[in-house]
Amino acid sequence: MVKRRPTRKRKPAQQQKKQSSRKKQGKKSRFRRWPHLRKIILGLFVLSLAYVVYLDTIIRVSFEGKRWALPAHVYARPLELYPGVRLSASQFNLELERLGYRYTYRPTEPGSYTRQDDRFYLISRSFQFWDGKEPSRQLDIHFENGRLESLREAGLDKDLTLARLDPPRIGGIYPTHHEDRILVQLQDTPALLAKALTTVEDRNFYSHIGLDARAIARALWVNLTGSGGLQGGSTLTQQLVKNFFLTNERTLWRKVNEALMALLLEWHYDKNEILEAYFNEVYLGQDGRRAIHGFGLASRFYFDKPIERLSLPEIAALVAMIRGPGYYHPNRHPDRLLERRNLVLELMSKHGVISKAQYGSAKRSVLGVIQDRASGGSSYPAFMDLVRRQLREDYRDTDLTSEGLRIFTTLDPWVQDSVEETVKQQVKSLDQKRALNGQLQVAVILTNTTNGEVLAMLGDRTPGYAGFNRVLDAKRPVGSLMKPAVYLTAIEKSGQYNLLSLVDDASISLKAQGGIVWSPKNYDGKSHGKVPLYAALVNSYNLATVRLGMQLGFEAIENTLQRLGIQKSIPPYPSMLLGAIELSPIEIAQMYQTLAAGGFRTPLRAIREVMTADGQPLQRYPIHVEQTVDGKSIAVLTSAMQQIMRNGTGKGVRQFFPDDVELAGKTGTTDELRDSWFAGYGSDYLGIVWLGTDDNQPIHLSGSSGALVVWGDMMQRLQIQSLLPMALEGVEVLPIDPDSLLIAGDGCSKTVNLAFIKGTAPDRYADCAGGGQR
Amino acid sequence: MKQLYYILFASLVLLLSACSSPPQKQPAGFEVGEEVPQGEQILPSSRTSKTVLALLDNARQAAKSGQLHNAESQLERALRIEPRNAVLWHYMAKLRLHQDRISEAAGLAAKSNSLAGKNHSLQADNWRIIAHARHQQGDVAGAQQAQNKVEQLKPQ
Repeated sequence: MVKRRPTRKRKPAQQQKKQSSRKKQGKKSRFRRWPHLRKIILGLFVLSLAYVVYLDTIIRVSFEGKRWALPAHVYARPLELYPGVRLSASQFNLELERLGYRYTYRPTEPGSYTRQDDRFYLISRSFQFWDGKEPSRQLDIHFENGRLESLREAGLDKDLTLARLDPPRIGGIYPTHHEDRILVQLQDTPALLAKALTTVEDRNFYSHIGLDARAIARALWVNLTGSGGLQGGSTLTQQLVKNFFLTNERTLWRKVNEALMALLLEWHYDKNEILEAYFNEVYLGQDGRRAIHGFGLASRFYFDKPIERLSLPEIAALVAMIRGPGYYHPNRHPDRLLERRNLVLELMSKHGVISKAQYGSAKRSVLGVIQDRASGGSSYPAFMDLVRRQLREDYRDTDLTSEGLRIFTTLDPWVQDSVEETVKQQVKSLDQKRALNGQLQVAVILTNTTNGEVLAMLGDRTPGYAGFNRVLDAKRPVGSLMKPAVYLTAIEKSGQYNLLSLVDDASISLKAQGGIVWSPKNYDGKSHGKVPLYAALVNSYNLATVRLGMQLGFEAIENTLQRLGIQKSIPPYPSMLLGAIELSPIEIAQMYQTLAAGGFRTPLRAIREVMTADGQPLQRYPIHVEQTVDGKSIAVLTSAMQQIMRNGTGKGVRQFFPDDVELAGKTGTTDELRDSWFAGYGSDYLGIVWLGTDDNQPIHLSGSSGALVVWGDMMQRLQIQSLLPMALEGVEVLPIDPDSLLIAGDGCSKTVNLAFIKGTAPDRYADCAGGGQR
Repeated sequence: MKQLYYILFASLVLLLSACSSPPQKQPAGFEVGEEVPQGEQILPSSRTSKTVLALLDNARQAAKSGQLHNAESQLERALRIEPRNAVLWHYMAKLRLHQDRISEAAGLAAKSNSLAGKNHSLQADNWRIIAHARHQQGDVAGAQQAQNKVEQLKPQ
């Protein structure tokens, strides 16, 4: 039975009661009429409730768990400053620029400096290293003749023995979205930042429940009537929810979700927690592929300051950027940002957040944003590739992209930049000379001879190009780079061989793989008869090397290679003796590292330390040395390899160095001039250079005419240090007359200095030295 | 009587001030484990730079407080500055020994020996580490050889 809807009249209380009971009856009757309505409403209610519970779970799980995936940050080596260190003023200046230190007339902030000729005054930044915190210091540094002459702490007016700059950041290991941030806590941020933010973005932040009713109504109205795009006016809570949980999709459904979640967020968490999350979440621009999130990173990135030291105009500029970090980009559109920053300041003044005087002075200040610095995408892709591969042996990918690890590497940016500069010029010029149409490719690796630290790497002729990493992945025949292993095997048998032992450089034919007869040739096509061991190596004679190798046996040579650090098994074919084995430049670097380190196998390292996001030590990759070759044998071999650089296939390198610089090295060339190699070292650097094309075409360059030139130019720029005179017990270095192979003296026109294990040197003087018994 | 008190008081002050005066700075070695008598310590050579001595000081402090990784890092910094300083390699070997990374200690001791020149007491100490490592690895003959080297190098 249908009752009429009661009219709106003032009724006595009793009547109202009756009516209310009738209302209930009416409802009951409606439910009776549509028996499913109740169930549908109940069902919808349960569903909605379930949905809200679902959203609530999402919010609480995400908000209480780890909120952000923090990428790993990768740093180059920190620059150590101490009196006497080989470091020029210009090198130092480059380091400061790399670190984003600002040149200013009078430095007052950490990260600023001034320079007068060879004298620097700077305020260093503090930095948490593995072994402790390096404090910020006022440094007064004086350079002279390419060295640091004096190091003083200006504030305290005292000499310092050592100081360390913060390490340059060279890249990150990012999750797929490439977000980066430095997490901050609200209490560490300037109070003005929160005030500026709420004044501009959400004035009722501290009083609303997550939603601003008027803004929602306006948005709904506009959306329903379709009278234009969706309007903004979201609260900070809504903005946070949108960025944190939702997509940028512009639909009503998203808006509903946003509202529900904002309410839930406000229900669970207090205003300060929400504001802190906002501070860390907000998107503030792009640095290459890296997305700058949060005020913590933004203040570092744009102003080179920790957040607590931001000034009023800087705070206003960051708040101004929220509306459109691209549109208000401080470097690309400084005018737009300046205008909006001043608008922010005006609003702050209008609402009493700042005084008129503060407003007046702030709006006159410049933006103060540091100029574009090195891109967040790594500039050193080949090296970063090695770092990632070494890290993956110990860490899962998710840890690397989410835990905010700090990775301290061995890269020396100055060495790397010198390598890049050389390669750009030399490879271009060699490519043009040989008409290779830009096909000539290159791989370079440079290490510290003592500790095996990788200082620089280049895997492509275009520095910064993150493609095929030829240092790690290009496996190429190594040619004559193999020879030192053959001669070392002989030298180790000191009872049978010394550098003057004769070996026949006569043509030879051998059965090789598959029964094919193999007849190697010398590079000049000639045989040189009986030659001393050292001359065969210095001139890279193939025939003598093969004959020597056959005398020694493959097994002995394979054993030597393994002790030098080659892990790959070596095929027992005679062509192996001339380097018909494919190795990557990094494998060659490992082999020559053992030679350069005096017979101590030292695994190459790209990482020194790993720390957690909050600066706690996690893992070290310490130096590791193992003596695998007797130092005396290495000393003898090295003396012959020094002769390569003076009188042999490496003598072309002399044009780059003063006469007294002693270097050791070996050229390598493969069939039809397809690969050009050079491996060489001084007392500080070991460098390997490979040139070739990816499709293995002839490049018409031998080791001497190609890789050696790149190496020489590179090492000249790096001012490679001479090998030190050998001072090993049980080894003697003697001048030898190359004609008689006896000890030379003042009267001899030609001499070569060669090392001998004591008891194995010639016991007579050459005629030119007066002859006679020693 | 008053004078006697005065003299006693003055002597006490003198005594206390003598106790609290900073000890004369002696060059120190690098000990991780039990104390070694001063005379038997391997000390950095007089050519060692002030910078490296400062780092050694840090390393010593770190080792003393059980922060061996920290000490390791300081020693590596020192080695980057003076890579041919045999004593630094020796200290590194000692540290490894204490970290129970015996074979690595032997490698570092051998490296120290390759740079030790005519420093026989340093060489003897390095051979001692090598003998210990070989013994641990079950290389009895090798350990004996190393021990013989120790005996040969010992000051007569």
